[in-house]
Amino acid sequence: MSYYDIDSILTDAQKLPCTFELEVPGLGILEGNAGEDIKAGTRIDLPLWLGEMLSIAARIGTSRLVTLDMPEALSERVMNALKADPRTVDLRALAPHFYHLSERILEIFEEEEMVDVLTDTFKRRAAEIADHAHNSRGAVGDGVEFLRGLDEAERQLFRAAHDRAKEMRIWAGEAKRK
Amino acid sequence: MAFPLPRGITPSEIAFLAEMETVTIVPRQRLEGLELLGGPVEPLVPPRRASLPLWLALLLKRQRRANIIPPSWLHPDPLGLILEVESQHQDYKNSFSPPPPLPALGKKPIPEHNTHQMEIDTMLHRRFYLKILQLGGDFTKETPALPFHWVEVGNMLLDAASDDLVEPDQIRRLLKDLREVRMSKMRSGVDVLDAAATGGGGVALTGVGAMELGEERGFVAGVVDNLRKIGASKEQARREQLADQRVNGEYSATQDEEEDYMEF
Repeated sequence: MSYYDIDSILTDAQKLPCTFELEVPGLGILEGNAGEDIKAGTRIDLPLWLGEMLSIAARIGTSRLVTLDMPEALSERVMNALKADPRTVDLRALAPHFYHLSERILEIFEEEEMVDVLTDTFKRRAAEIADHAHNSRGAVGDGVEFLRGLDEAERQLFRAAHDRAKEMRIWAGEAKRK
Repeated sequence: MAFPLPRGITPSEIAFLAEMETVTIVPRQRLEGLELLGGPVEPLVPPRRASLPLWLALLLKRQRRANIIPPSWLHPDPLGLILEVESQHQDYKNSFSPPPPLPALGKKPIPEHNTHQMEIDTMLHRRFYLKILQLGGDFTKETPALPFHWVEVGNMLLDAASDDLVEPDQIRRLLKDLREVRMSKMRSGVDVLDAAATGGGGVALTGVGAMELGEERGFVAGVVDNLRKIGASKEQARREQLADQRVNGEYSATQDEEEDYMEF
């Protein structure tokens, strides 16, 4: 992930549920009422970059400022759905950068099982993506529903496979350059 | 972003590299020997066959100055046999037909660290050869095998010299079928790729051609990269555990040494 990677920046902006452990004066703007204080125990969705900073800052010595929770996209319910059938889950609706988000989350939380579930999900879906990418009707036929549910990383994968197959066809003279 | 071409090497670049393969031609006109950067070209005397780089052969063919003799594998029979073995037989469900044997094999001693892989390769090759014989193939001189640049050479010869080939339409169809069978094998390898990402496993790509590699590179690399990122935290934990074990292991090992020493 480089500094200018737009996907990494967008991942940083995804919301994460946080609970404030301390009362913070003047930070009510986060809740929508500017000028007020934030009470201890308030639950707010903060962007990943902010939540991460606030929860890590606690380690310096002072008591923890916020505690992080699992985002909705990686909840138990979603994990069960992925275990049941990875191909029917609409990852894009859960989070546009689902895999990037889960990578960041897994850096914070230690969840061995989640790694396994996600790895399996990615593999099963990647095989499906490859089939759609090489099938010339893949993007218009019955695959539409599945392809609409791809997250950003999977879309790049689809693009890579699809473009390569298309270039090959153009080179072999089977397809026309547009 | 700024560079419009995708990463990796484009089909036309791979085809350009394949043009350095040598083919045999029967010239129709005399030509003095040429001194080219890639090496000298022998003088062409009409009824005598000559070996030329593919690009020169195609040039002469287009000018109707030569006829190309198709390479031994570019015939319907060997291609049909390879296709049958690749698609029908259990042994080859997940692997590709072996590449042509190296010219130096058997003359030079095999390096020690490669022996194991060599054994596997020759075993595959022998099994493949047996299959071919069972199917009624008679290739006492040469086993049919797809060379590294089979897609490119096959396509270019079909394009420019189809009148020199035996049953070009059938060859075209067989090449297409072969390509599809092998591509789907390569893609079904996704299942084992996560082992490759964390070290250890992998997909054997022995016998895969240059163009096939070029086509699947983007996809396979993308899958491995993403699997690596997803598994990063687990991998980190595993490394730490290993490091701990190593520290403890060394500690007990030194203790053992001391005990041995005491006994002496």
